[in-house]
Amino acid sequence: MLRLAASLLLALPVLAASGCASVKPWERDVLARSDMAWEPDPLEAKRNTHIHYSKEASLPGGGAGGGGCGCN
Amino acid sequence: MTAAARRHRRKARSRAARRLAQRRQRESLAALTAGALALPGLAGPAGAEGVSDRIGADYNFSRYSEHKLPSSKVAVGSERGRYDIDMHQFRFAMPIADRFDVGLDVVHETMSGASPWYVIPGDDGKPVQVMTGATIDDKRTDLLLEGKYYMDRAQASASGGVSFEKDYFAINGGLGGQLELNEKNTTLSSGLGVSIDSIDPVDTAEYPLRPDHEKKQTYSAFLGLSQVLRRNAAMQSTLTYQLGHGYLSDPYKQALVVGEPLADSRPDLRHQLAWLSRYRHHFSSMNASFHADYQFYWDDWNITAHTFELAWYQNLFEAFRLIPSVRYYSQGKADFYAAYYDQARADGLYSSDYRLSPYGAISWRIKAETRFTTWQLDWLASFSWERYLSSGSYAMQKVSTPNPGLVNFDLFSVGLTTRF
Amino acid sequence: MSGRRFGSRRGAAALVLAIGLFVGGAAPAADVGQTAPEFKALALDGGKSISLAAYRGKVVYLDFWASWCPPCLTSLPLLEKLRKEFPSDQFQILAVNVDQDTDKARKFLERTRVGYPSATDPKGRIPETYGIETMPTSFLIDRNGVIRYVHHGFRKGDVGPLRERIKELVAARKK
Repeated sequence: MLRLAASLLLALPVLAASGCASVKPWERDVLARSDMAWEPDPLEAKRNTHIHYSKEASLPGGGAGGGGCGCN
Repeated sequence: MTAAARRHRRKARSRAARRLAQRRQRESLAALTAGALALPGLAGPAGAEGVSDRIGADYNFSRYSEHKLPSSKVAVGSERGRYDIDMHQFRFAMPIADRFDVGLDVVHETMSGASPWYVIPGDDGKPVQVMTGATIDDKRTDLLLEGKYYMDRAQASASGGVSFEKDYFAINGGLGGQLELNEKNTTLSSGLGVSIDSIDPVDTAEYPLRPDHEKKQTYSAFLGLSQVLRRNAAMQSTLTYQLGHGYLSDPYKQALVVGEPLADSRPDLRHQLAWLSRYRHHFSSMNASFHADYQFYWDDWNITAHTFELAWYQNLFEAFRLIPSVRYYSQGKADFYAAYYDQARADGLYSSDYRLSPYGAISWRIKAETRFTTWQLDWLASFSWERYLSSGSYAMQKVSTPNPGLVNFDLFSVGLTTRF
Repeated sequence: MSGRRFGSRRGAAALVLAIGLFVGGAAPAADVGQTAPEFKALALDGGKSISLAAYRGKVVYLDFWASWCPPCLTSLPLLEKLRKEFPSDQFQILAVNVDQDTDKARKFLERTRVGYPSATDPKGRIPETYGIETMPTSFLIDRNGVIRYVHHGFRKGDVGPLRERIKELVAARKK
């Protein structure tokens, strides 16, 4: 069961990538925009996360990276 | 019990409530919060892209003000006004050596006001909130240090932080990693965090139900996948697991059990799961971007919750941006939650905290940003206002008896950022 | 455990291979030891068209950059300084700008002047030919037009080692 789950998780990037057009490194102009970031304002994101975590039952769920200009 | 006896009991409870509420009590934000630092110890100083090799400084001031409770929801003799928090946030980030950057986050808050204490049945049978007396002002300070190391197709990060208040101390740490695949169209992220908290509630001599000294540990892990879909669209999905162990109750809250106030008692273990998905899309013809986020939450106290957030980033005249956004939240109740209890529970678990009650919340925010270059530095100034309203009627499921302490608040914020 | 097909070694190997392909990416079209592909493009500042062949006989640093790429912007003034350390009849820098919105690139060059030309390629044909894997990427090309070094990304500390490599190539005579 664990092996099945692990293999599925590993296969996700393969599956996800195969269905989508590959954006070239020199075509990342739009993705590099600040209004395309996961969290354009990190202080605001932290603040909201803190308030919601304090005032509601739920968990803040972020953390992943990716997207953006892909530079360096 | 006769009607007269019931009336007598209600009056006695109101008198007791008034007497208790009149006493000045000091509260801490920590007592009202589930944890001093949200998702403790997860690293990452610069958000999605830490590539910037410039030094950055960010400052934000926010004023959080809770609305007064309607008198129909407050016990006689209790304070109607609620909590106000002034929050200062400061972030400083800079590159150190070629492939390494560090960031320091400092948060300082000043809190004052009254907060929910326990719930009693009101005169018409509907539950009403007994509030604590207002605090004068309490402070909280958080420090977080993060470091990130950049490889060609991977990143590694580490963080450590402390949080302290008069009655609360927490230390946290985290590790994170990121791997770029498929010409950097696909990104795998993962992280681990731990937070060790110690709670020393105040005025325990006056309030014998309060614990003297408690500890709590929180462990978290996340796994995220990010995928560039098109030149102007990307999506991300993250699964987060958190384990809470130790004293997970609120030392300043009580629950009325068969007419007697007992200390808030929650299980000493909690498994939590959150699945957050995000989508970003840019409309070049409109010079605007669209953000959509959805999160599903589950825990083993039987709470499930849904969060939806939509935002529109409208760019105007090169230097301005207007960002309206809306958020909808709905949660179920913890299985041991009740406004008050007519009989004792075999497991001894009790909580009348609205945060474990079923309800929904709608909030909307408007934010304005402007960028400019002065003194050879790039600046960004922002202003935002948000209103948050919660109610039993906003929940996805039917809520027969909403908790009277549900919170409504306004959040006003100004920020200034510079890069040099 | 015997008789369980899923999670077999073959399955795992296939997954690893698939992931490896994505991590590794396709083989670059312009690698060390190969002749740098020729190209001709318009100059960003509207001047005459630029061709790589015109630089044969000199050591060339071919740099791909864009206004939306922060490390690219950091590199420009540093490359300009480096360029001035060598005589212009021995060493030249040639940039290819891939901004779709060429105005943004020109605006940046107005604030940060460099003495070397930028070709404009909004359609991305030249980076495609060169098999660019990240932004920025640069190629150090010797006097015979052969790629001798491919540099991915840019960090401030890259200038030192780059200077040494340019010195080596400048010292070597054309064959």
